[in-house]
Amino acid sequence: MFEVRFHGRGGQGAVMAAQALASAAFSEGNYAVAFPYFGAERRGAPVLAFTRVDSKKIYRKTQVYEPDFVVVLDDSLLEMVDVTEGLKDGGVVVVNTRKKPEELALGENIKVATVDATGVALEVLGQPITNSSILGAFAKATGAVSMDAIEKGIMDIFGNKIGMKIAEKNCRAAKAAYDRTISADGRPREKEFEKKPKWLPDVKELPIGGAGVKMETNAGMIGPGSFLENKTGGWRTFMPIVENDKCVACQLCWYFCPEGCITMVPYDNNRFKKGIAIDLDYCKGCGICAHECPTHAIEMKR
Amino acid sequence: MSIGIKDLPEENLFTAGHTACAGCGAAIVVRNIMKVLGENTVIYTPANCLLVFGATYPHIAWKVPYHHVAFENTAACATGMKRALNTLGKEDTTVVGFAGDGGTADIGMQALSAAAERNEDIIYVMYDNEAYMNTGIQRSGSTPYGAWTTTTPAGKVIKGKELFKKDVAQIILAHNVPYVATASVGYPQDMLKKVEKAKNMKGFRFLQIYSSCPTGWRHPTDITVEIANKAVESGMWTLFEAVDGRMEITHRPKERIPVQDYLKLQGRFRHMSEEQIRILQNWVDKKWDRDSRLEKALKMLDESTD
Ligand SMILES: Cc1ncc(C[n+]2csc(CCOP(=O)(O)OP(=O)(O)O)c2C)c(N)n1
Ligand code: SF4
Ligand code: SF4
Ligand SMILES: [Mg+2]
Repeated sequence: MFEVRFHGRGGQGAVMAAQALASAAFSEGNYAVAFPYFGAERRGAPVLAFTRVDSKKIYRKTQVYEPDFVVVLDDSLLEMVDVTEGLKDGGVVVVNTRKKPEELALGENIKVATVDATGVALEVLGQPITNSSILGAFAKATGAVSMDAIEKGIMDIFGNKIGMKIAEKNCRAAKAAYDRTISADGRPREKEFEKKPKWLPDVKELPIGGAGVKMETNAGMIGPGSFLENKTGGWRTFMPIVENDKCVACQLCWYFCPEGCITMVPYDNNRFKKGIAIDLDYCKGCGICAHECPTHAIEMKR
Repeated sequence: MSIGIKDLPEENLFTAGHTACAGCGAAIVVRNIMKVLGENTVIYTPANCLLVFGATYPHIAWKVPYHHVAFENTAACATGMKRALNTLGKEDTTVVGFAGDGGTADIGMQALSAAAERNEDIIYVMYDNEAYMNTGIQRSGSTPYGAWTTTTPAGKVIKGKELFKKDVAQIILAHNVPYVATASVGYPQDMLKKVEKAKNMKGFRFLQIYSSCPTGWRHPTDITVEIANKAVESGMWTLFEAVDGRMEITHRPKERIPVQDYLKLQGRFRHMSEEQIRILQNWVDKKWDRDSRLEKALKMLDESTD
């Protein structure tokens, strides 16, 4: 049996990738299941999906806690999520990133493989959708399924959902990614993630009425307003660029920003004029501020 | 002078760091409503997007006391909270239930109707994103005709929802409560005024607020507000309020734009045939006519009883 955990963001298609991998393994005569983490995932928020493959019937119904392989669709997750948590010794982690495997500090007794799946997807599909490319990289880095099988899996799952033509393109992306995957040679680096404090209080450890108690713990803040610790800026693809010269302080962007991360501030070049400041720690890059600004003082840029 | 954008405080009682999708209309609505309601407020939310994106253990975006029990009992729980506060001598605390359209038009209707009948001293806000979004876009009684959802798929035979949107605000109006209003994420002035009015009244107050949802409606994240504007300009959404049953339309589009101009911005309507669009336009024309007549009738009714 081998078990795979996919890390992605809502909307990146981690579940489809997990399904296509299961279908690929099935086409090679295995039993296979794929399923998402049950939870309420929003677009952009970290999500999980799993694939489990065996030569025998599979009765294990749990999530995957000790994967043989881990697939990371978005390298911005590496800072937020302990992606190699529970990864077996000798296990493989496949990461979509421009970096070389040696540059990633994900643990010592594991193998790291990287691929610029976003680059491949932009080239082949014209869109930064990486859930097919990453499967090519998976085949190359793990050898757990063949590239032929991956293509079958993609044709099956993607073909059904978005049509054969697009599925074929996705196969091409997977193949290109297969060729461009690099595996680490040399000693993998010690894991850096664990040095950060882990979340501590469990429900039983909280004081009664814990939701109302504001508390500093060694892992961070809990209680009212504590969501401020969740920096959502990592969700962003486009960034608002402000030209305060044009700002007329109408406060429309300030009102309409779903995050409330815009503040009205004295404008530097002219002390008697107000402008805006955007807290990029939280800005998700929705573009509403730019769209609603009557004087086009905000522009969304990559 | 009634309240405007520039009167709102800088502090957010619903903080950043919440996990709503980028461009979420409900997040805009809730954040700004809290600026009007202020600190002396307690909140109830049933199961919905807002519950999840506003509080997921161990983090909470609310800076005021906040409570959650179950999906179907917003009005009942808010009632209990209000009565408990009264017993503690905290009569001036505002109790607000924030429920989605599924939690209001469908599963929450019974508790809602009962609380309205008893004229409980609470504010009930229905943020209307026209489907069950938190569980992955299932249709509700508030989903409009023609809309694609995962339970009203768009295929060869069936093309999106075949039934029409339930008019929840009118249902509550029929309960003869002190305040009923509709508002929209796209009309700040109108919404802030209504929230302030509701805050300063006693008894049962109901607000149904149009809250665009880029994820469920399949539209780009930056046009959340534009879509809300087109909803009102096309007549798909009527902005009105009713104090003691005296209904008044608070924003009349000078000339209604074709409903097609509203539909074409959203993926959930992309499959609609010309015939379907005609049916929906017809429904909008009738609704607008009915709303206008209702407004007249309810005003007249009031004069005749004076
Ligand atoms: C009794 C019960 N049934 C079903 C659910 C699952 N559930 C959680 S949130 C939700 C959808 C809520 O939809 P809506 O009220 O429209 O709010 P939205 O998520 O769209 O904001 C459902 C069905 C539940 N929590 N409780
Ligand atoms: S892009 Fe969206 S989240 Fe970012 S500041 Fe503008 S409105 Fe806020
Ligand atoms: S699904 Fe819609 S309502 Fe729910 S958080 Fe996302 S944008 Fe907001
Ligand atoms: Mg809803």
